[in-house]
Amino acid sequence: MGKYLVRRALFMILVIVIVSFLTFLIFVKLPAGDPARRAVGRTTNPEEIENARRAFGLDKPLHVQYWRFLKGFIPWPPSDPVLMLLSEPPRGDGLWLNEDVYFSYGGFIPVREELARRIPITGTLAIGAAVIWLLLGIPIGILSGVRRRSVADRAAMIFAIVGVSMPIFWLAQLLLYGFWFKLDLLPASGIPIGYNGWGGALRAALEGRFILPWVSLAYINAAFYARMVRGNLIETMNEDYIRTARAKGLSERRVIYKHGLRGALTPVVTMLGLDVGLLLGGAFITETVFGLPGIGQLAVQSISTNDFPMVMGVTILGAFIIAVANLVVDVAYAFVDPRVRYT
Amino acid sequence: MAVVTVLGLVGAACGGDEPGVDEPTDTAAPELSGGTLNMAMLADVTAAFDPQKEYYSVTWEYYRCCLLRNLMSYEGVPTDEGGAEIHPDLASGEPTISEDGLTTTFQIKPGLMYAPPKDDTEITAQDFIRAMEREANPKANVGGYSFYYSVIEGFDDFGAGDADTISGLAAPDTHTLEITTTTPIGDIGYRFAMGAASPIPPDDEGERMGVAEGHDRNYGRFLVATGPYMFEGSETMDFSAAPKDQTEVPGYIPGRQIVLVRNPSYDPASDGLRDAFPDRIEVRIGGDNDDLYNQVEQGVLDFVVDGAVPAEKIREYQTNPDLQDRINVYPSDAIRYVSFNLAVPPFDDINVRKAVNWAFDKQGWRQLRGGPSTGELAGHTFVNSLQDNILADYDPYQTPNGSGDIEQAQAAMAESVYDTDGDGVCDDPVCQNILTVSDREDPYPEQTALMSQNLEPLGLTLDVKQLERGTMYNQCNDANSQHAICAAPGWGKDYADGVTFGEPLFTSSGLWESCCNYSLVGASADQLSGWGYDVTEIPSVDEKVEECSALEPGDERFQCWAELDQQIMEEVVPWVPYLFDNSVDILSENIVNYSFDQFAGLAAFDSMAVPGNTS
Repeated sequence: MGKYLVRRALFMILVIVIVSFLTFLIFVKLPAGDPARRAVGRTTNPEEIENARRAFGLDKPLHVQYWRFLKGFIPWPPSDPVLMLLSEPPRGDGLWLNEDVYFSYGGFIPVREELARRIPITGTLAIGAAVIWLLLGIPIGILSGVRRRSVADRAAMIFAIVGVSMPIFWLAQLLLYGFWFKLDLLPASGIPIGYNGWGGALRAALEGRFILPWVSLAYINAAFYARMVRGNLIETMNEDYIRTARAKGLSERRVIYKHGLRGALTPVVTMLGLDVGLLLGGAFITETVFGLPGIGQLAVQSISTNDFPMVMGVTILGAFIIAVANLVVDVAYAFVDPRVRYT
Repeated sequence: MAVVTVLGLVGAACGGDEPGVDEPTDTAAPELSGGTLNMAMLADVTAAFDPQKEYYSVTWEYYRCCLLRNLMSYEGVPTDEGGAEIHPDLASGEPTISEDGLTTTFQIKPGLMYAPPKDDTEITAQDFIRAMEREANPKANVGGYSFYYSVIEGFDDFGAGDADTISGLAAPDTHTLEITTTTPIGDIGYRFAMGAASPIPPDDEGERMGVAEGHDRNYGRFLVATGPYMFEGSETMDFSAAPKDQTEVPGYIPGRQIVLVRNPSYDPASDGLRDAFPDRIEVRIGGDNDDLYNQVEQGVLDFVVDGAVPAEKIREYQTNPDLQDRINVYPSDAIRYVSFNLAVPPFDDINVRKAVNWAFDKQGWRQLRGGPSTGELAGHTFVNSLQDNILADYDPYQTPNGSGDIEQAQAAMAESVYDTDGDGVCDDPVCQNILTVSDREDPYPEQTALMSQNLEPLGLTLDVKQLERGTMYNQCNDANSQHAICAAPGWGKDYADGVTFGEPLFTSSGLWESCCNYSLVGASADQLSGWGYDVTEIPSVDEKVEECSALEPGDERFQCWAELDQQIMEEVVPWVPYLFDNSVDILSENIVNYSFDQFAGLAAFDSMAVPGNTS
């Protein structure tokens, strides 16, 4: 297992380097405009543009520019490791998204500070939504799979089809309009002033400010998971080992929950890891509609303004989270599926 | 829209009952003071409040109303109440100007102190020089507007590292600032009413940049206020620490929130320009435009700073008697227009340009934007406030209902070299597939479709390229792009003087790679050849702009800009100006007082009174 983890960690680094290179390549080849020109605004002169280009390091050859970015996210000896680790958000020279390079062209702020500030919002959104969709999707899928063609099965599938078909921006606005604007049952969108960090996100969650965003995100995923669990369960229940279990005289309940479900849920673990990983990389539509200052909102803003250091930071963070999520899923397999062994 | 949608107007002399220093008044009426103003912004400011970088009208309003005082400043009212005029603010009176017009001297009010933690430090003349040195520094001024200060003697040399000081700035004593320019300019007061010229206090170590030392990229997060407000927690900043170890002011979290509280050092008796009604101003950053306006309607928020009020909300507020006093519409001193590239046939022929002006359906374009509340139909190039309304009724291409006149258009086309048979329809191949660059966002796709329809009877067909806004502006500005029409630009004043329109939009100093003379007015034969054009001659208005710029603010200067505008509309015809933009605000029921600040083209934040609002 130890060797496996080391191999996977090295592979993860390779993935991040490749992702960063591709992001850089897209940036330098995109016809979206010169970031220096954008930064100086519309009333300007050639000297100002050149100054901005120098200030952003865009006057250097491309390979030097890329090397700066690459070096900037590889761990680097900080001048004051204690200050760096204790500060909130982290301060200092390097370790993660060095401020000299990873500094927003658009907002003139360090990329890592901006990411650190937004992670609690996106994390709370993603984790809460995942819990809800699992609590909804799995039981509905089981019920539907066990009682095929029953009224419950058909109702569950209607729920699933509606969920899968409904655009999230529409559902989100509908919920907001109904439950806040018309009925005033839940808080308005946005995170109040002073709700900062994980503490602020938790406080907002306890006040119900995440309920509508969670439900918006969860409904669509719950519908998908319900369909997946149902399909897997039906397939698993036709396997030979299930027939053997029944032949041995086990109760139907034990056959389903002890043997059938274990096999049916294995793909769910895979999907869950990837889905949560993707969401932690940002859920732009939900974050925008509900005024949640998270990673997804930042990603789109940065892309639209050609703010490359921020785009690079968000991309690397997203790649890192997804790679870690994949690793966790693979390790979890060993516990879920006894046939899997890592060497 | 323009880089920044901000301006200010002529510096009329301050009389006894004028706002300003001479007769300071405490305008914060007790019944309006107090409470917390809750605002929202869709997006953050552009450079984290760094005064030498921020070139954005929203930030300029935060500076004007609340955070930064200048030698001269504005009152935060509409044009007809004097909102485009500048008044002494930190200066003790109007500046004196030397006989040759090159040296301007400001006297600074004594005894005014900075906000905490520099509340033991008096504002002095050297602090303005420090701000100018920072504005000249290419590492600190990225995105700023140092070109407004290039006229100061030695400013550019200092910025280039060729001089140790800016020779045109001197502080003979702590309360006197002398500014020497290389040429007489009439609007020096306006330039020193902008955020970049507000004072920066010294630090304990005596560093050159004072408290901004070591913060070339982010001084805004260490900003020391001089106005009635400061960022919450300003007193916790420690400028005795090394810059790297200093902690940013907690009241501003980029992309998230802004919290302003009262500045204990502020002396209202020294300030006749600001209301400073709310005790506290809280601003949430981010969200969905329509949802934020719903929150204003419900009273969760009081005001949205940078949103676009949805059309149905405008209708609702204008027609419902209970809501009518909660909507405010003011001209924002910005213009929308269609520009021709005068180096690209058929627009190298003035008759074709006139024909398009006659054919253009301005009314239709306004309807597609949202109707009459979005602005007034424009008949000329400068917004009216920059010319004291001299040309308010002027439109050389006026048509019935502003909907275009095809007969007049065809008559103009018949005069063109591209209409050989004189039937009013272009019969030259250059009139086919005219490269038109436009914005891909609403309402531009529909507007350009309407223009295509309007120009068909003239034999003009368009090849429209719809682009992301920033890319569109880059294409319009790039003289090498060979576009013929730029269909979606807009422009707002920086301050209330015609120079902020005339120079960048119509002179050779605004040509590529500078900005924003998309029509190439004033380009030389060499430049045109270098950009790959066959056309060798384009009219110039450089001399007229220079003439107007040198005049003192006042009637003569207004008249000069109006003459230039007429010359542009009749002899150059580089645009179809179609809309003088309005600013539309809706307010929550908590707001009991509102004022429009003509300088920023936004609501005056400090004048929005919310005495009943608790945090």
